Parts: sequence; C-alpha cells; structure tokens
Amino acid sequence: MAHNKVENNNTKNANGHKKSMWSIHNRGEMIWGWIFVLPTILGLVILNIIPIIQTIYQSFFKTGAFGRGNIFVGLENYQKMFGESEIWQSLLNTVIYTIIEVPLSIFIALVLAVLLNRKMKGISVYRTIFFMPMVAAPAAIAMVWRWLYNSDFGLINQFIKLIGGTPLNYISNPNTAIFWVAVVGIWSVIGYNMVLFISGLQEIPNDYYEASSIDGAGPIRQFFSITIPLISPTMFFVTVTRVIAAMQIFDVIYMMIDRTNAALPKVQSLVYLFYKYAFVQNNRGYGAAIIVLLLVIIMIITAIQNYAQKKWVTYN
Amino acid sequence: MKKMNKVIALLLATFMVVSLAACGGKDKSSSGSSDSGSKKGSDTLTVAIWDTNQESGIKEILADFTADTGIKTDVQVTPWAQYWTMLEASATGGSLPDVCWMHANEIAKYAESGMLLDLDDAIAEQGLDMTKYPSGIVDLYQNPDGAQVAIPKDIDTIALWYNKTMFDEAGVSYPDDTWTWDTFREAAKKLTKADGSQYGTAFTISENQQTYYNIIYDFGGYVINDEKTKSGWDDPKTIEAMDFVADMIKDGSFPPYTTVSETDQAALFQSGKTAMLPQGSWMVTAMLENEYVHDNCDIAVMPSHDGTNKSIFNGLGWAAAKDSKNAENAAKLVTYLGTEAAQKKQADLGVTMSAYEDTSEGFISKDTEKNIQAYIDMQDDIVMYPYSKDTIAWNDMSIEELVKAWQDPAIMADTCKKIAAQMNDDLAAE
Repeated sequence: MAHNKVENNNTKNANGHKKSMWSIHNRGEMIWGWIFVLPTILGLVILNIIPIIQTIYQSFFKTGAFGRGNIFVGLENYQKMFGESEIWQSLLNTVIYTIIEVPLSIFIALVLAVLLNRKMKGISVYRTIFFMPMVAAPAAIAMVWRWLYNSDFGLINQFIKLIGGTPLNYISNPNTAIFWVAVVGIWSVIGYNMVLFISGLQEIPNDYYEASSIDGAGPIRQFFSITIPLISPTMFFVTVTRVIAAMQIFDVIYMMIDRTNAALPKVQSLVYLFYKYAFVQNNRGYGAAIIVLLLVIIMIITAIQNYAQKKWVTYN
Repeated sequence: MKKMNKVIALLLATFMVVSLAACGGKDKSSSGSSDSGSKKGSDTLTVAIWDTNQESGIKEILADFTADTGIKTDVQVTPWAQYWTMLEASATGGSLPDVCWMHANEIAKYAESGMLLDLDDAIAEQGLDMTKYPSGIVDLYQNPDGAQVAIPKDIDTIALWYNKTMFDEAGVSYPDDTWTWDTFREAAKKLTKADGSQYGTAFTISENQQTYYNIIYDFGGYVINDEKTKSGWDDPKTIEAMDFVADMIKDGSFPPYTTVSETDQAALFQSGKTAMLPQGSWMVTAMLENEYVHDNCDIAVMPSHDGTNKSIFNGLGWAAAKDSKNAENAAKLVTYLGTEAAQKKQADLGVTMSAYEDTSEGFISKDTEKNIQAYIDMQDDIVMYPYSKDTIAWNDMSIEELVKAWQDPAIMADTCKKIAAQMNDDLAAE
C-alpha cells in the first residue's frame, strides 16, 4: 500500500513539474516537500542505508569479539561461503519455501478476496478472522503450530489417529518439513494479501461487470477477463513484497525446528544461517557475507519481476 | 514512472534485507538493561540471569543484600537461547548489565576482551577464600592475567531420574550405586515396549553435559585435553563410549530420531514416554514442579563403568561489568553472593547446589520424599565440563555431526573421528 501511495505522489510531482518547472511558487513547494519527507529520509539513512553500507563493509572482515579487533580478509568470507554446500542447500531451501508460499498464498487470498468482496451479513467478522494471524506475534504462532505438528502429542496426529489414519512426522521428516513450515507461512499471510486484494477489487468500477454481463459473459469469464487484468497492479505489488519477505523466512524455522532436528539441514534458510553465524557463533563477517548474498539474489529477482511486469500488469 | 517503480522496488528489497542485519543487535540491546535501569535510578544494579526457575530464590538473596547495604537491584531474566545474543549486543554497545551470569561456553571471550571487572580487590575486601570453591570453577573464571573476573555461583552435577511406576511394571529393580552402564542398557531394553508407547531412555544430543559426556569420562575417554589444544573425540576410549551409546540406539531403547527431534529428553520423560533420564541438578526445581514426575519418579546416582562413576560438573559465575557506572557496588554484590552465608541460603532455598564448600546440604530439603542426595553424592568424583576459548564453535559442530550418527548408529566411530579432526582445526584457530 505504501508503494501505491509513493507512486501517486510521484505522479503528482511529475505533472507539477511539466506545468512550470522553475516558478518561484514551485520552488517553495519543493522546499516544503523536502521538509516533509525529511523525517522519513533521516530514518531510512540511519536505520537502513548506513547499516547496509556497514554490513557490506563488514563482510570483508574477520570480526573480533564485541566489534573490536576486526581483521581485513578481502574476499575470504565469500570464498568460504561459495565453497560450503550448506550455503547452497539453504539457498535451495529458501527458494523452495518461496515457491511454495508465494503462489499458494496469493491464489488462496485472491479467491477469498473475491468471495468476501460483496455485501453480506457479518462480512467484517470473516475478514477479521482471516486477518487475525497477521496480528499475532510470529513467534507465538510458530510455538502453537509446533505443538499442533508434534508427531507424538500433537493435535493433528491425535485427530488423524481418531479417524483411523496413519500419523505423519511433519517437522522432523527432512523431505517434507519445509512444506509444513510453508503451510504456516501461507496461513499467516493470507489475511494480509486478502486485504490488499479486496482494496484492489473495490477500485474496479461496477460498469465493466454490468456491461460484460449484457454482452453475455458469465462470472468465470468476468473473473479472468476483467478482475484479473484490473487487479494485476495489486497482484504485482503483493508478489514483489511477498517474494522479498518469503526469501527472508527465519522466525518460523527458528522456533519450530530445533538444532538437533534431523530435518534442519533441509529446512534452514539463508537468514537462519546468517543468524547462526552472526549471532550464535559471533562470526559477524561471515554472517554479513551471507546476508549480502541474499541481498544480491533478492535484488536480481526483484529486477526480473520489474522487467516482466510489462508483459502482464495492466495500468489504467 | 516505470523507472521510479524499479528504483523503489529495488530500494525496498535492499532495506528489508539488510535492516535485518542491523536490527538484530539493536532490538536485543534495547530490551537489555540500559532503559529500565535509567528509569529506576542510576544507582540500581541491573542483574541479568537466564533461568526463571531460579528467579524467585535469587531475588530473595538479593533482598538480603539490599537490606545489608542499601544498594537496590533489578533482576532481568532472558531465556538461555537469547541470553548470549542479548549480552553480546549490550557488550558491543557498551551497556552490559552491571551484574550477570557467566558460563563456561562464553567466559573466555568476555574475559579476554576485558569486558569484566577485575574482582581481586573486592574479594580481599569481602574476605573470600577462593580455595573454598571447586578449583575447576575458580580457574575457569580467571582472565589471562590470572585475575578473578567472576565468583563461582553454584556447582551442578548429573543424576539419574527414573520412573518408578514403569520399573515396577517391567519388574526391574530401581537404579542404585551398584548400577553399571551395562545394567543401564539392559534395564533400558526391558523398559522399552514393542508398541512404541514407552522407551528406556532418550538423549537429546545438545544436552551433552547431562548425557554422553558422562559416559565418555566413565569409560576413560575425554573430550578435550587439559591444555585445551587437542580433541579427545578420536581417543579409543571415547569411541568405545560412543559406540556404547550407538549400541543402545541399535537396541531400540531410544525413541525414533524423529521423536527426539521434536520433543526433548526432559519433555519425553515428563510425559511418560521414557523411563530414565540423566538430568542436571539445575533442573531439579523444574522437574519437581511437574505433577507426573512428582507422583511417579525418583532420583538415583548415575551408573558407573569399571568402578568409575564420574559426573560432569560445571558452575556458573557471577560477573560484573567493567564499564559499569556502579562498578564498586557491582563488585560488592558479586562478592557478597559468593560468601558462605549467601551460598548456603541459595542451597537452602533450593535454588541450586552451591559452589562454596559444604554449603549444599540444604538443597536436599527441597523435597525430602525424593533422593536429591544423589546429586550431592555425585560430587565425589567430578570432571569439569569440557571447554576452551571458543567452545561454541566445536560444541555446535559436534552436535551437528552426532545428529547423523544418532540416525545411523553404524557410523558412530567414523563420526567421532570426523569431529576430532574438525575440532583440532577449530582449536588450532583459537
């Protein structure tokens, strides 16, 4: 949503510029504009841009305890990183997680948004229910799911036993654990995506639907020919932000998978490794190198998405 | 506009990723001491600990200190999993809590970087006799110059918890000081039910102090040599001990690895899934609070091997921050906590056993129905918990490797050799 707002502001500025580029009035407006965005810019510089530069800088050092006695090692951290199969496996884990979480959460959220985008009794109750997981603390959610998933004492397996099925190992089977972790991710984010989609849906004028139904289009045809194209800007925004967030998955894994869990090597994400090296083993430089790798990968993916949007996103 | 879009999206990506790196430290340190400390007045000593089970007892002892000296304290509990991250971040930011707990895994880093207050003068002033504490713990908490930087707080030993109800049902006699590890293995087999509803025992790999480390030393092996220069993981005796563990896994006396992955050994014991549990003395409070354990279980000394019955011991230390504004008061507090009276009170309150000689007797009165004496008896032959300057590096590595051997016990001997090789590299790099 923030993204959309920024876009609108830019459009306005661009129009203003065209009319009278350097009029005195406009210059005053410009100064005020800068004053208004100054707090945000300051925040970004202090909380984001400086740490980014420091992190990249740190990735070239073998860091000492408590940030003292750092030794410059050039690309050694990167060389070590690229030689570790653990890094590539966790990159793969991260990508698998993203591939499961993002499309499924978008699809389910879109269906829910379409179903809930109408006038009916108790609509806000339904919307609240779906949005609830977004409000709860991720760590608490992970703890609850961890016990639901527990193969010996968990509620899900108790239920399966009750109806006579075979209990499963959810988070301790290396082959499937990442999927069950992704289920929690999907469950927690559906509500957020849904709210964005509902707001996108409400911007579509009703005239289109009326006109098309006069022309004989059914609801399914309407969904694919009107809803999807017109909601594509929202979908683009959701996809970009969700991919970024999913690539950074950490909390659910950290809370649900213990370090002695056999499935850990097949579940741990890049951010998990970053945490392990930077904060548990206090190898900040190596941790920084891992996070720079993730940064580069996310930037590439985002750039590709931006390029690809020309093919499928329709702006009015 | 499209260009703008691209720029914004890329910036967004950048911020979200890298701010992670920065936030980790910041979030943690702000939850640390500095904020609440300043609210309560700058002369209040902040005290950082990680064990909620000890919180009330510690507070009671601190109240005595306040009554004696008029110096106020404020206890903050951070769970073990986050404690060291919090402490590291606050040390880096120059705002260590005035007083904090130290552990063998981490002390070297803090002592060498000069983060901790030299307590020698305060010890003299308080009149503490350092020979009254186990020398392993005293040595552990000295900086490279030989100055004491933490006062021994407690001593912990390992004893064997067992489920009497299950023993009765299986017709196995209760463990006692005649038990060897072979008796333990046979009993574990008998206590395992074929339908998977009950197992003899379970070892959580990361709980090495409570479990296989004891077996290694009973068998005559070692984890690290006295000079902290060489790994003992490839010592034939160590391998023999670990193969013994592997045999127990092969017996089927442990639950399947998936179960241990999801639920730790204490929770399995507390929920009646396993019959025996080697457990540290610091867990006594938590164990007894569990109703099922209280009704069904008791404690015995650990099994022995060829007449050797060693217990791994470790002890926490009370340390004070060097750059604390209240350094003098902090030193007063940590040395006070080391006095015979305070140490005795700690044991009497049932917080833990105490490091000071002959002050732990009161610990058994915590629950007279249970044989807590087993923990005191285990003090007779003790081995210091293996540590070096950078314990975490090889400790975590050995745990990761053993996860594989727990799933495939046939590779145990090879795993031990692999751990030794990597650990020797780590020690060389220290």
